[in-house]
Amino acid sequence: MQVLHYFTLNTGIETVCFITSLIWLINYKGQPIWRNVVFLLFITCSVEFMGIYVKRLYLHDRLHVHPNPWLYNILLLFQIVILSIMFNSLLTKYIKIKSAIFIIALLMVSLYVYEIWEHGVFNYNNLTYSVMSVIIVLCSLIYFYLLLKDDSYIQLSRSADFWWIAGLLFFYFGSTVVNLFYSKLSHIMITPKRSLSYFIFNILNVLLYSCWSYSFICRRWLTTTSQSLS
Amino acid sequence: MANNDITELIIITTLIFLIAPTFLVLYIFIYNKRKKRHLEEKQLMQLTFESELIKTQMEIREQTMQTIGADLHDNIGQLLSLTSLTLNSVKLDDAEKAQQKIDAALDLTMRSIKEMRLLGKLLQGEQLIGLGLCEAIRHEINWIEKSGQYIVNYEIEGEQPAQNNPDKDLILFRILQEVFNNIIKHSKASEISIKLAYSQEGVRLQVIDNGAGFDVANLPDDQKGMGLLNIQKRAEIVGGRFFIQSQSGEGTCIEIFIPYP
Repeated sequence: MQVLHYFTLNTGIETVCFITSLIWLINYKGQPIWRNVVFLLFITCSVEFMGIYVKRLYLHDRLHVHPNPWLYNILLLFQIVILSIMFNSLLTKYIKIKSAIFIIALLMVSLYVYEIWEHGVFNYNNLTYSVMSVIIVLCSLIYFYLLLKDDSYIQLSRSADFWWIAGLLFFYFGSTVVNLFYSKLSHIMITPKRSLSYFIFNILNVLLYSCWSYSFICRRWLTTTSQSLS
Repeated sequence: MANNDITELIIITTLIFLIAPTFLVLYIFIYNKRKKRHLEEKQLMQLTFESELIKTQMEIREQTMQTIGADLHDNIGQLLSLTSLTLNSVKLDDAEKAQQKIDAALDLTMRSIKEMRLLGKLLQGEQLIGLGLCEAIRHEINWIEKSGQYIVNYEIEGEQPAQNNPDKDLILFRILQEVFNNIIKHSKASEISIKLAYSQEGVRLQVIDNGAGFDVANLPDDQKGMGLLNIQKRAEIVGGRFFIQSQSGEGTCIEIFIPYP
């Protein structure tokens, strides 16, 4: 029964998405860059499970009120790096943006280091996360703008890039309000154990990982179709 | 503010923040569908243009062959038959008369050779479109003038662009052939003025005749197949415009403008 504590809606949908990525992307040779997403999902799932473990470990220890943010800080660093690589790959199809993305990633890492230096590793890097959210929303909007501007037609319902970015936009744009008032919202409880932000993030996670799972299927599907056509 | 109010406010705001990207995604889908339709229309237009171009080429060839056929039958054929008859009637015992008939046969043969040369040039004329519209038109005019029924003035205005557009040249040449056909068949004209004017915007072809003319607005049904619709359709297919001005007894002025090259 102890195992059941590890299976929440969040960990469930993340695991499903990770398995989907393993099935559809691990042998995908078309664009190796997509394997980074498999790695990111692996890190995400590991951090989520370890986070629950660590939280339960220190459940009655009042000295450690926030026992697991250091784990999410590690995840945040991977998110910055891998999402920068992905956006660089997806946006360079339309514009030359490599150096801009590199500078942004560098600034993000600098902010990350500054926050760690400021409040230590055991507090979550909220500012870095918020800035990252804004940049992701901006990059997603830039991608959609370039997609609209481009003369060539692509079948969006089967476009892996489109769904991958749509998932990010839903998650990071949808979480804007919760991010802005995170510290205040964590005290508003819907059930005795769960806060309002927990439920909102659950819904956003479902949206994000559903879009991503579909995107992985599209990625492989497109390759299989074009291979069978050639 | 009570917790419940804050909860409601946060949920509603989050929903709004979720609806915004949903609408954005929907808009992109709708726009993308429009893009697809636009591309399909573009492809269709390209196909129509290509098929019209092939049709034009076929028509020019057909017209050339018809002219050659008619000339062989009516002109060269007659000349050669006459040559044969003249030579057959030569009696060698009357040297003076025989010499006269041989001279006449020689003259007929020379005329046949001249006709054959003109026919050859007409055949070349079809290929001359590749070298330029001006040359192709000049050959067409030579042929019309040969009949002796028309005085043709040909004027070229402006500088020809360095780069030709063979597709547009072909269409314009075919339009001119159609106009000539109309003049020969219906107008009873004696003078034709042709002006080819190149400008920065495009090329303007103007054909004026002093023929019978017709009421453009009330064209009788039996004269609607004069190829005017064809001319208009062809001009439009290359993004051009077609104007016609005519009155009964006052001749006809036809003008075609095509963006060029």
